[in-house]
Amino acid sequence: MNTDQLAFNCPPSHASPKDLGEFFVPSMRGPTKSAFKSIMVNPILTMINMAGGMPNPNTFPILQLQARVKTPGATSSQPEDTLTIEKKRRNKTTECLDELLQYSGGCGLESYCSFLYNHTQRTHSPQYADWGVIASCGNTDAIDKALSLFCQPGDSVLVERWSFPGTLSKLAIARLKPVPVALDEEGMVPADLDRVCSEWGGATPLRVLYVIPTGQNPTGTTMSLARRKSIYAVAQKHNLVIIEDDPYYFLQLPKFTSNQGYDTVTDRTCGQQQALVSSLLSLDTDGRVIRLDSFSKILAPNLRCGWVTAPQYILDKIQILSETTTLQPSGLSQGLVSKLLNDTWGMDGWDAHICELRAIYTARRNHFVRMAEKHLSGLVEYTVPLAGMFMWMRVNFGAASADPTAMTRLLYKMNECGIMMAPGMSFNSTATLPSDHYLRAAFALVDIDMFEPALLRLAHAISTISGQSASVNDEAATNDASCSSSKYEIRAYVANNTDKVQLIAPVGFNVAVANGRG
Amino acid sequence: MTSTKPHSKDLSVYFTESAKQRDNSPLKSLMKYMSADPALVSLGAGLPHPSTFPLGALTTLVAQPGHMLSECAHPPATSIQVNQPTSKTEGLERFLQYGNGRGVPSYSAFARTHTASVHNPPYADWDVVPSVGNTDAFVKALMLFCDRGDTLVVDEWTYPAILGTVGPMGIRVASVRMDAEGAVPEDLDRVCGENRVRVAYMIPTAQNPTGATMSLERKRAVYAVAQKHDLVLIEDDPYYYLQFGAYEEPAEGVDRLRGLPGIKGLIPSLLSLDTDGRVIRLDSFSKILAPGLRCGWVTAPRYIADKIQFHNETTVQQPSGLSQALVSKLLNEDWGHSGWESHLLRTQREYAVRRDVFVDLCREKLKGLAEFTVPQAGMFLWFRIVLPPQLEQRQGVMDEVFARMIEKHVLLVPGRMFSAKGVDGPYMRAAFSYASVEDLGVAVDRLREALLTFQQEK
Repeated sequence: MNTDQLAFNCPPSHASPKDLGEFFVPSMRGPTKSAFKSIMVNPILTMINMAGGMPNPNTFPILQLQARVKTPGATSSQPEDTLTIEKKRRNKTTECLDELLQYSGGCGLESYCSFLYNHTQRTHSPQYADWGVIASCGNTDAIDKALSLFCQPGDSVLVERWSFPGTLSKLAIARLKPVPVALDEEGMVPADLDRVCSEWGGATPLRVLYVIPTGQNPTGTTMSLARRKSIYAVAQKHNLVIIEDDPYYFLQLPKFTSNQGYDTVTDRTCGQQQALVSSLLSLDTDGRVIRLDSFSKILAPNLRCGWVTAPQYILDKIQILSETTTLQPSGLSQGLVSKLLNDTWGMDGWDAHICELRAIYTARRNHFVRMAEKHLSGLVEYTVPLAGMFMWMRVNFGAASADPTAMTRLLYKMNECGIMMAPGMSFNSTATLPSDHYLRAAFALVDIDMFEPALLRLAHAISTISGQSASVNDEAATNDASCSSSKYEIRAYVANNTDKVQLIAPVGFNVAVANGRG
Repeated sequence: MTSTKPHSKDLSVYFTESAKQRDNSPLKSLMKYMSADPALVSLGAGLPHPSTFPLGALTTLVAQPGHMLSECAHPPATSIQVNQPTSKTEGLERFLQYGNGRGVPSYSAFARTHTASVHNPPYADWDVVPSVGNTDAFVKALMLFCDRGDTLVVDEWTYPAILGTVGPMGIRVASVRMDAEGAVPEDLDRVCGENRVRVAYMIPTAQNPTGATMSLERKRAVYAVAQKHDLVLIEDDPYYYLQFGAYEEPAEGVDRLRGLPGIKGLIPSLLSLDTDGRVIRLDSFSKILAPGLRCGWVTAPRYIADKIQFHNETTVQQPSGLSQALVSKLLNEDWGHSGWESHLLRTQREYAVRRDVFVDLCREKLKGLAEFTVPQAGMFLWFRIVLPPQLEQRQGVMDEVFARMIEKHVLLVPGRMFSAKGVDGPYMRAAFSYASVEDLGVAVDRLREALLTFQQEK
C-alpha cells in the first residue's frame, strides 16, 4: 500500500530493515511484478479503461448494506448502533458498496489498511522504517503465504513443541519438516531454541521460526517481555525470520488469584486495565518479524479477514501471491470492519471493545480455573493462562501412567461421561515425540454454568481410568460412581436450562456432522 | 426415483503426494462427537462465544431481479435481513462462526441445487465445495494433480493469473492452438500425445482473452480427446451465464435482444457432458453478482471436492460469512431460483447491449485497422491489429502501439500478457464491460486515431 497516503509518517530516525530477500524461495526472488500492474501507467483521469475485465457497478444488485452493531462498554448487550454503507461514495474515510464489490488489487481496501496501519503504529511502534500492513483472509491463509515465500519442500521450520494443527497440517502437506523447540510455562524456551539452531545439521539451513507468543494454541502460555526479548535475540543470532501468529494478543488477562470470587462481569470499563505485553513486532529492530493479526477472536471468525505487518518488500511478495490466488478478502468483510472501526467506533470504541472482551475472557478464565482447583486437584497439572481461551492440562494417571492405552481409554470414558476436550495428540508437532497425557480445554464457548459439571465429569473419568480416588472436594463424584447417571445429571440441568443448552452445541454443527462433513 | 448414473472414474491415482495427504483436520473431526446429544459438553473447539460478535442483524437493500441501475437511478428493491435462522438459511451467528472448508450449509445447498438444475451432471457422486473465487479454485484444482516438473495444458492465449501461478510452482505449460471457437481438438490431441500431461485448463465460454466460445460440438470433441488421454479438465467458467448469441447488424425494427438464452438456452457445459467425472468445474459470482464478494463454488466428484475442502481448511477456511449470508439469503429465499434466472437474463441483456454497441462502432470505425471475431458471450474483444507490412516485423512494434494508445488516452491490454508461449503478437484485448456506452464511442474514436498513425507511417 502507498504509505504516502497515510496520515502517519514513520519517524525518520528508524533504520531500514535488514534485507532478508536472499531467503525467499528462488521463484519469488528478484523483481517479481504483477503483470497487470506493470501496464497501469500513471492514472490519467481522462483515460478510458478498456483493460480491466471489470463489471460495471450498475450490474451490482446490492444497493445498501446496514448492520446493527454493539456499542462497546454499553450495559445492555443488545446492538445499539446502525452502520450504513451506501452504493455510491458519500464520505472521504470509507469506501462505498460500488468500491467494496469491485475488483481491486491484492493488498486490501484502503481505509481498512489505513486504520490497521495506524492501529499497529499505536500498539506496536515498529522500530524500523518501511514497514506496512496488508489485508489477509485470516491467519491460516497468511501462514500459508508466509511459508510459501520462504520455504521449499524439504526445508525445515522451527515450531513450538505443541502447536496449531492448521499450521502443522500445512507443513506436512508442503513437505516441510517441523523442528520442535521445548516449551515451559512461558512458552518457547530460548536456550532450547539456541541449542536446536546451533546443533542443526540438516540438509538446508533453518530460516523460519513459527511461534504463537500470546495465549499459545494449545498450551495457553504467554511469553513475558523478558522471554520475548530472549527469543528475539536468539532469532537475531541465527538470522531467523519470525512468523508471529498472534490472534489472541488482545485477549491478554490479568494474573489469577484463587480468592477472586466468581462473579458476572460487572466492570467492563477496564478500570484495572493491564498494559498489553509487548509484541515481538515491537522489539523488531531488524525487520525479521512477519506479524499475523486476525479479527477471528476479536470480532468474528467467519469474517475471514485480518492483516499482516512486515517490511514492505516482504508484503509486496505476499501481494503477488495473493494476486494469483485469493485476490483479497471479501469486500463486504473489509468494508463492514472498516466502517465499524473508522466511523462507528473509532479508535476509542475499538479500545473499549477490546476491554470488554478481556473482561469477559477474564471472568471465564477465573471460573474455569477455580473449578479446576476445586475438582481436579491431584488429577491434572496446568499453567494458568494469561491470555486467550485455552487451558492445557497434563493428566496424572497415577498408577496407570505407564499404560500406553491410558489416554485413549480416558478419551472414551470422557465421551461416555459427557465431556469432550481436544486430545494433546492433535497438537503434537512431530510424531517422534510422545503425545503424552495432555488435554486442551477451551473455555470461550460453553456457558459458564456448565464449567463445574464439565470438570466434575472430567474428574470422574480420570479417577476411573487412573484408579485414583478423586479429591475430597469431589462429593458428587464419590456419591455417583456411574457415568450414565452423571449424564442424567447433565440432562436434568439441560432440561432446566434450555436457553443455555443451545450454546453447548452450536446450531449448524449438528447439520454438518449429520452430513458427514465434519 | 433411483439414479442410474454411473459412478465417477477414480482419478485419485493421479493425485500428487500432497493431495493424497490432505485429510480432515483432526480438530474439525472432533465435531463428529458433538452429536445431537445435548448432554455432551464440548470444551474441544476453540470457538469464540457468539455473544462476543458485535454484529447484530445485517440488512441489505437489493434490486429486484431483472432490474439494474443502468435503467434508472432507483430500481425497485427489497430489503432482506440476515438475523435469526429460517427454514432455508442459518442465522447470522452461524454465518459468523468458525465452520469447516465446506462452508455454511445453505450456501452450498443453493450451489448444489442450481448445478443439478442447469448442468445435470451425468454421474452420480458429484458434489460442490465453496471457493473464494475462480483464481483460488484453479490453484487448488491444479495442486491436486500437478507438482513441480509437471506440465499443464493451456490455450495458447490464456488468463495471466494462470501463467503467474504455474511459473513459480515450477509447472510448465504446453499450449494448444486456438481458432474462433477456442482450443482446437486436433491440436489438443497432438499436445497430449507429445507431452506427459494430466490436466488441461480451459475457459470454454467467452474465453479470456480471445472471447471465443465453444459450441456444443466443440465441447464434445474436446471431451473425447480428454477421455482418450485420461485428462482432468479444469472448466473455468465465470462468464458462462453471460451468453447472448450471434451478432446481427443493426436493422430497422429488429430487436437484436430478442434471442437471449436465459438459462434454458445456454450452450451446455463440459460438466453436463462429463460421464467420467473428469471435469472440475469452477463457478464464480464475480461477474454475475459482484467480484468483491469473493465467492463461488467448485463442482467435482465428491472425493475431489473433499480434497478441496481440506485444502480450504489449511488456507482460506471458507468464503466470508457475510458474502455467504448475502448470497444464500438472496438466492435461497428472496430471489429464489426463478429470481436468479431473471437476474441472469437481465445480466445477459446488459452485456449483449454492450457487445452490440461496441461491435457496431468497431465495424464502422476500425475497418482496415483492426480485425476481430465477434464474441458471443462475456466481455472481451480480441483485436488483431493490422499494421503495414514494413511495420509488422519491427521489433517492439506492439509496445509502440500500446504507447500510442496511452497517448490518446485509451487503455487496452497487450496480447503478450496472455501468451502461454511467451511470445508477442499483433493482439490487444479490450473489455467492454466497464466503460459507459458513451465512453465506448470515445474509446473507439481514440483507438482509430492511434492506429491510423501507424498506417500513415512511411
